[in-house]
Amino acid sequence: MADDLLIPDDDEACTVALEELLAASGLGHEEVIELVQFGVFHCAQHAPVWTFHVHTVRLARRAARLRDDFGLNVSGMALALTYLERIEALEGRLRELESQLPR
Amino acid sequence: MKFKDYYATLEVEREASAEEIKKAYRKLARKYHPDVAKEAGAEDKFKEISEAYQTLSDPEKRQAYDDLGRHGPGEEFHPSPEWDSRFSRGGQQEVDLADLFERMGFGGGGGFGGGTGDPRRPGADFPIRGQDVEVATELTLEQAARGTEVSFSLSVPALRADGRVEKQSRSGRIRVPRGVVEGERLRVPGKGGDGIAGGPPGDLYLEIRLAPHSRFKAVGHDLYLELPIAPWEAALGAEITVPSLDGTVAVSLKPGMRSGQKLRLAGKGLPHRREGAGDLYGVIQIVLPEKIGEREQALYRELAEASAFHPRLHLEGPTDG
Repeated sequence: MADDLLIPDDDEACTVALEELLAASGLGHEEVIELVQFGVFHCAQHAPVWTFHVHTVRLARRAARLRDDFGLNVSGMALALTYLERIEALEGRLRELESQLPR
Repeated sequence: MKFKDYYATLEVEREASAEEIKKAYRKLARKYHPDVAKEAGAEDKFKEISEAYQTLSDPEKRQAYDDLGRHGPGEEFHPSPEWDSRFSRGGQQEVDLADLFERMGFGGGGGFGGGTGDPRRPGADFPIRGQDVEVATELTLEQAARGTEVSFSLSVPALRADGRVEKQSRSGRIRVPRGVVEGERLRVPGKGGDGIAGGPPGDLYLEIRLAPHSRFKAVGHDLYLELPIAPWEAALGAEITVPSLDGTVAVSLKPGMRSGQKLRLAGKGLPHRREGAGDLYGVIQIVLPEKIGEREQALYRELAEASAFHPRLHLEGPTDG
């Protein structure tokens, strides 16, 4: 594939189906359902099949890594993902505030 | 092949119990896990820890590893013929110790760097999705604003027909649309590792990093610019010129500007993917020259005498507490 010009997905409208999310992350069906119930993953439930925003793939892979590397159960994954999301939001806020300080 | 001391990696004795190995792994994983740690090098360190744990946590693999004997880290060695016939699939070739354990058929899998965590057993006769791969790229703000193309090269593990793992190198170019922001991941479906036994290929992810810019700091699509002004400009107002990513903008400062006040220039930040753009914020800093001349000093003295302004009035008198 040398010298191919690869065109990324048009991210804003991009969704993945449940099956794709499972295959891309290594999470199990039950785990994904529970993570949706915990409110960590958001899916468009009105569609005939569950679909997720493509960003969920990154979250799901992170969840699977945390499960495999720390032996977390679903509650643990939900808690860790929530905290990591909160940390990232705070880091963003910190960058924003730092941008306003004199150098 | 090069010897790796898995016990040293996990900071345990060779005689350590399974429980001790698990404890050591957990302690190190918590410290270096790439989802948790932020310091440079944590990810590589975690890969080493993970590789060591994959082998030492499995009694069969651990025994096989112990049978290799003791060698110095990085030392060249060859497994004994007997070991080789038990675990290897014949033929001496350049392989990595981790790859060797990976294809010993003990199962396992998972772990960071395994991407999807698929157990990659040799001779799998069921379809396995290819590995997702991630590459990072650093763009300038100008490139992010206009869109660009980036080259990448990486190596992905691939399973050959005879069950051996080999590293395949990949390279190519990816079109980066305008309007990407720091930390964004672009997904190129189907361009990751090849699937196995008819499984679909994995995806390629391009992670965007924005290089520090000499003038602007990007926060999402908004840009921040430190905007120094002179005390008289702050007091009297002024017509000033502010740089933006594409040329300059003329701005009227109102009288009475304060330090830290933000001047918002709508739509002068990074463009969004489709339409519109973030804003540019000029953060006002009232500055003085390092040295002022005699005439300036005299004028300041005159100003001090003429002014009734008391900036620390609120700090006078007893406190409430």
